[in-house]
Formats: sequence, structure tokens, C-alpha cells
Amino acid sequence: MFSRTSIQTKANIISISLSLAATFIITALLIILIGKNPIEVFGNMFSEVFLSGYGIGQTLFKTTPLIICGCGLAFCFHASIFNIGAEGQLNAGAFAMSLIALKLGAFPWYISIIICIVVAFGVSALFGLIPAIIKIKKDVSEVITTIMMNFIIMALINYFLVDFFAVKSTMHTEKIPEDMMLMKFSSITSFFQGSSLNISFIIALALAVISYIVIYKTKFGYEIRAVGFNPSASKYIGLSPDKIIIITFIIGAGITSLTGLNFIMGYKGFYEYGFSNNVGFTAIAVALLARNNPIGIIFSALLFGVLDSGGLAVNEIVPKEIVLVVQGVIILTILSINTIVDKKFNIAK
Amino acid sequence: MYAVEFENITKSFGLLTVNDKVTFGVKENSVHCLLGENGAGKSTLMKILFGSYKQDSGTIKIRGKEVKFKSPLDAIDEKIGMLYQHFMLIDEFTIWENVVLGNEMNAGMKLDYKKIKYRLNEIIEIYNLGLDINKKICDISISQEQKVELLKLLYRNSDILIFDEPTAVLSPVEVNEFFKIIEKFKADGKTIIFITHKLNEVKELADRVSILRKGQLVYETDKADIDVQKLGKEIIGNVEVAESPAKISPNEENKKSFIELKDVTLIKDKVKVLDDITIDIRRYEIHGICGVEGNGQQELVDVILQFEKNISGTVMMKDERVSIVPDDRYKRGMIKEFTVGENLILKKPSEGLISKRTVDTASQYIMKKYDVRAPSAETPIGSLSGGNQQKAIIAREIEMQQNTMIFYHPTRGVDINATAFIHSEIVSLRNAGKAILLVSSDLDELLKLSDRLSVMHKGRLIKTFDETELSSGNRNNLLEQIGKLMIGIH
Repeated sequence: MFSRTSIQTKANIISISLSLAATFIITALLIILIGKNPIEVFGNMFSEVFLSGYGIGQTLFKTTPLIICGCGLAFCFHASIFNIGAEGQLNAGAFAMSLIALKLGAFPWYISIIICIVVAFGVSALFGLIPAIIKIKKDVSEVITTIMMNFIIMALINYFLVDFFAVKSTMHTEKIPEDMMLMKFSSITSFFQGSSLNISFIIALALAVISYIVIYKTKFGYEIRAVGFNPSASKYIGLSPDKIIIITFIIGAGITSLTGLNFIMGYKGFYEYGFSNNVGFTAIAVALLARNNPIGIIFSALLFGVLDSGGLAVNEIVPKEIVLVVQGVIILTILSINTIVDKKFNIAK
Repeated sequence: MYAVEFENITKSFGLLTVNDKVTFGVKENSVHCLLGENGAGKSTLMKILFGSYKQDSGTIKIRGKEVKFKSPLDAIDEKIGMLYQHFMLIDEFTIWENVVLGNEMNAGMKLDYKKIKYRLNEIIEIYNLGLDINKKICDISISQEQKVELLKLLYRNSDILIFDEPTAVLSPVEVNEFFKIIEKFKADGKTIIFITHKLNEVKELADRVSILRKGQLVYETDKADIDVQKLGKEIIGNVEVAESPAKISPNEENKKSFIELKDVTLIKDKVKVLDDITIDIRRYEIHGICGVEGNGQQELVDVILQFEKNISGTVMMKDERVSIVPDDRYKRGMIKEFTVGENLILKKPSEGLISKRTVDTASQYIMKKYDVRAPSAETPIGSLSGGNQQKAIIAREIEMQQNTMIFYHPTRGVDINATAFIHSEIVSLRNAGKAILLVSSDLDELLKLSDRLSVMHKGRLIKTFDETELSSGNRNNLLEQIGKLMIGIH
């Protein structure tokens, strides 16, 4: 008998490699179809992303929010909560983060940052609590409620921003004090050539490790997964599925708020409408790709980060939307190849 | 003439050989019983016959002709039909819609309702199934659902029928009805392969018996030579079956009630699912509840577990927590995606970090103590045999050391060996002073274990037999009386 985990890991590696190869071929064909040279496109992408300190820095900078948001979603998905509302939840938290940061002038920077994180977490968590309660009390699918909450939250932010908080004739808030900004890597070493990569990347990695431990190594994590796999068995085992779903929803939504650290506290210094650039949705794919394993999420986020920053490099040859095509194809191939490989390895679902 | 011939069928999963050169034939127009413990390879063999699995080697012949099925659809084309243990019906559809689903009579877009319904009613009449085809599945009983599954097979003109433990969900009276239907099938020239754990059913029905043990065919006999004792021995091989310890009788004053329900009524969707229930569960006692599935047993258990809040009447409990071995281990007893170890420790109130080592040590102790056979604590519990899964769940619950325990169908789908082990554990717990509620539809089990026995019908406890009533008198009369009470005849 083989242990299940080693078979699963092997199957995962095989299916991901196969999917990447398939994606590569499909995309290459597409590029040929529009009359360009795929080797040139991929070559440009590669050299832009990997051959300069700035390129590496920018790629990791774009990876950071995906790791953070992916971890938040991993919690939800392990409990079988299909949270589509990360985009709204993280915007609410980030908006609150920028506003509270402006009010905290008197505190030392490290206390200010902690307060910002706590407030942002709380606000995002609140917007996770609402669909959670509707799900528990009225049995309404969180897919519907979270999508609707996205619209509500974005409209509210728009209103408050335009009418109260935005710098005149812009869509962003005022800049927070410089001493509250997170340290940039480029200020420590010249290797990153002024890239925007900052400490929140380290925070994201730490978050992934902590999430991994919580989900797979603690009693609470066991309970989340038990409820996700089989709520009615969990009830008879003595857990309270409702309570666990609410707590997990709050934690998952709360974590997404930390996405704001990278942009607001590490890069621009203010909240800007639309800053998140659909991270909340891309992170769904990131988490699913990693089968909701936070360590895996680091790598799947990196993959999307590479595509994102590589897209800019090939813009002059092919439309940069090609990376969206690549993202889509990757998801489709991984999902379909997963099933085939699992079947070959006799992994029951 | 053989309807089905298995020739040297071998099938392995990884290193485990589940069917090892199995060779036997099923005569046309006969009832062929297939026996064996859980994990002996019966289900695998049937799934190969039905095209769900593919054998590694060996051949299958249907009516003398070799076949290679790629999927169950090919098997259905050869007029083979399978009655699964778990029904596959859509609750919100009517009976006839369920039957027709996937097998519409004419290929066009429009269903010929009249023709279909006429044909269905014809079948129902011939086999005396007593179904109203316009009723929805959610409005009929489990035994009727089983008949709908039969109707499906008949509508598809199957004439080789595979029944996988069909009587597990039926009351004694319903079992008799079911046997009559089987006899009619035989009279109509159909061939039936019948899987069961109940040896007295074999005696009554079988024309021929085949026994599998550890994947191999070990014994075959014809109707004339069926000896129930011999069958039992052949099924388990040379192993000692655990014997239940004798019950000890403590003083009357020691028999304190741990749970008392008084005039408890529960209304769900305007139906009284529990109707004026008064019952007490005492120390040193196994209180059996018998009844046809769906007569309020689940709700009674849920009330004791405090899952149901909107009840009238009073519930008094000595302890907050009650251990439960639920009826359906897949749905409620375990997380099948988790490993054996993870399932065993799930309920332990340990806090904080859970290391692989803690899981392993804790679960190896339990696995040894309760003889849960698994390659390791890291094996996914879903891959164990039913008996071992059930032992794992029971072990977990006993280790909780609660004063009150509920056993709900503790031995359903469990082989002779594991059943004996589970029965002896339950009696030991009783002797140790636990209060035990045993809900089951297996009368043999209930009569063997219960100190008191209540019969449940339509949400009411219509009769409670006390110790003297259970121990004195003619057992057959008692069985008949209980059987009648179960379907509401006083």
C-alpha cells in the first residue's frame, strides 16, 4: 500500500506539468494563427520577467496580492464556501485601511500599521459575515450573495470616495504619511532597480505558511475540512457546521483585506478606485489551481504573476490580452487533465 | 444453459487482489446467492459483470457468448439489470418520470406519456408492486423506492437481475412481499443473482449458492444441500467468532434513567414525525427501537442529540453529550476523504496543533484495541471494508466514554465477524453501566441484545416489550407480533 499523500503529490506534479505543456502548445498555435512568431513572444516574456532585477521584482510585486487573497479564499474553499466576493471584500478592507491610516498620525509607525491591519481585517470580515449569516439562516447560496455584495460594496466605495474622501478630480484618497509606508526591497539592495516590491511580499509568504499550518495541522483546520467534506457527518461527530462556516467565512474574507497592504502601504500610499485589478477573481483560479493548499498557492500565484508582468513585455508584438487567454487555457487544461490523471492513479473523488 | 459464466476472473487494485481466478456459472432461470464477508470481492465481481469495472484477466459469457463491456450501458443492452443498495432516484420527480429517465421509449422530442404509463401500469399489475406512478419519490417509503428501482429494471426488460443486499432496508413483512416478487420473476424465466448477509434468506430462496472468501471462490452448493451452519463457517473461514459476554443484572435501584423523554412531539412540514413519545433509557440496559425505516427513528435520535429545537414535551438528560454511531456511516459517521487516524481523533477534545505523531500514536492504540484492520493510520478510511469502517466509528465513540450511547443500525452491511465483535462490545458497555439506545431494523439483532424493546410506527411508540415479555414465550410468536406491529397492525 502506498500512502495516499505521496500518490496525490505525484499525480499533482504530473498533471500540472502536462497542463503547462498543453497550454504552451495551444498558445503557440494561437500566436501562429495571428501571424506572429511564438518563440519571439515567449522569449520576450522570459527575458522581461527573469533576466532583470526589475523584472523579477515587478513579478513578485504582482504575485503578492494573489498569494494573500488566494490564502483567504483557500480557507473558504476548504469549508466548501464558494466565496466569489473577495473582490468586494478586499476593496472594503483596503478602503478602510487607507482612511484609518490618514487618521493615525500621532502613533509610532509600527502601531499604526497594526491598527490599519486590524481595522481592514475587521471591515472585510464584516462583509464576509453578511453572506455567511444569510447562508446559515436562509439557506441562500453564497455564490449569489457574494456576487451581489461585490456590486454593493463597489458602489458604496465609489460614493464615499467621490463625495467625501477623494483628492479633487481624482479617484484616490490622500497620501498617507511617508513613515507609515512599508519598506521597499529596492531601498535595501540595488538588485531590484527601483521595483515596487516591498515587505508585504514577505508578509504574504508568512501568511501562506501560517495558513498551511492552520488548515492542515490544527484542530480548527481539521474541523474546517471536515465540515467542507461532509457537513452532516461533522454534525454527528459533534462539530457545529454553522458556527465553523461563519468563522471560516469571516477569517477568509478578513485575510483578503491584507491585499491592500501591497498597493496602499507598500506602493502608492493611497486607495485608488479599481486598484485591485480583479485580484479577487484571479485569486479564485490561483486557489483552485493549487487545490487550496496555501504552499501551492505561492507557486500558482507566481505563475499568474509571471503572466501578468510578462504581458506588458509582449504588448508590442501581440495584444497583451494574450495573457488572459493563457490564464484561461491553463485553468481549463489543469481542471480537465487533473481528472484524467487522478483516474489513472485510482484516486477516488 | 448458463445465463452468466465467470471464467478465471481476476481483478486487483494496486497490490490487493480482490478477485482471484473466480470461476462459476449462474444457471438460467434460477436464484443464485452470492455470499461472503465485506471485502470478499462480491461487489467487485458484480461491478465487473455490470461493466462498471474491467477485469484484469478472465472472461465473462452471457448466455454462452463472450462479452466485453465498456460501461454499464453495454450491460443494460445485454438485458442485465442491477438493483443497488443505495437508490438512484430524483426526489422531485414522479415515479414514472424516474423510471423513464434515460430510457425514453421513442427517440423523438416528445414523450408518448400514454403509452409509457400504460406499459408501467401493466408491469405493476403483473408483479403486484402496488405503486401509484404519479406519486413523487419524496412522498413514498423506502420499500416503495426499492420497488421503483425494480420497476426500472423491468421496464428495461432486464432478465438477468443483480440484487445487492436488497432486504437490508425492509421489515419482515416487506421481506416476505419481496420474496414473492422474486418468485414471480423466476416463474417468468428471469435469472437472479442475490447478494445477502442473511443466511436464512439463502435457505428460503437459493437454487444455488457460491461463497467468496478473500477474493476466491471457496464453496458452492445446490439447494438440496444448503446447511446454514456450514455456510456460516465457509463464509468466515477458520476464525473464531467473538461471543458476546453474558449480561449481568444489577439491582433495580442501579438502573437509573440517563435520558427521559416525556410527551415529546415534533412537527415537520405539518407532519407529526414524532407523536407523543415517552421513553426512558436506563443504565445497565439496552433499549431497542424497532420499526420500518422512516417511522421517526431518525427524528427520535436527533431529538436526543439536541439537533431538533422546536419540540413540545420535555427532554431530561443526565449529560450534555451523547455518543452516537449513526445509521449511514458514509453520510454521517465519517469523513471518507480523511485518513483512518484523522477520523479516529476527530472527536477528541485536544487543542492546538495536531502533529502526525499524535494522530498516529492515538489511532494505533485504538486500532489495536478494537481490531480495526487497516494498512496504517494514514490509509484513507474510504478504502477500508465496511466492517472495518464501522469498527473504527464504534471505537471512536466508545473512546469518548460518555454515559449514554446510541447505536443506530450498528451492523448494517457489516459481515458476520465484525457483527459479532460489535455485539459483544455493546453488551460489554451495557454491563459497564452505560445507558444504551439501539435503533435497528434487524429483528435478530434487536432480540439478541435488547433488555427492553419498543416498536415505532408513524412517529409513535406503539408498544414496549419488557424483559419478561422478551425472554418468555414462543420466539416465533414474538417475531410475528413485532412484525405486525412494525406495519401498524395491533
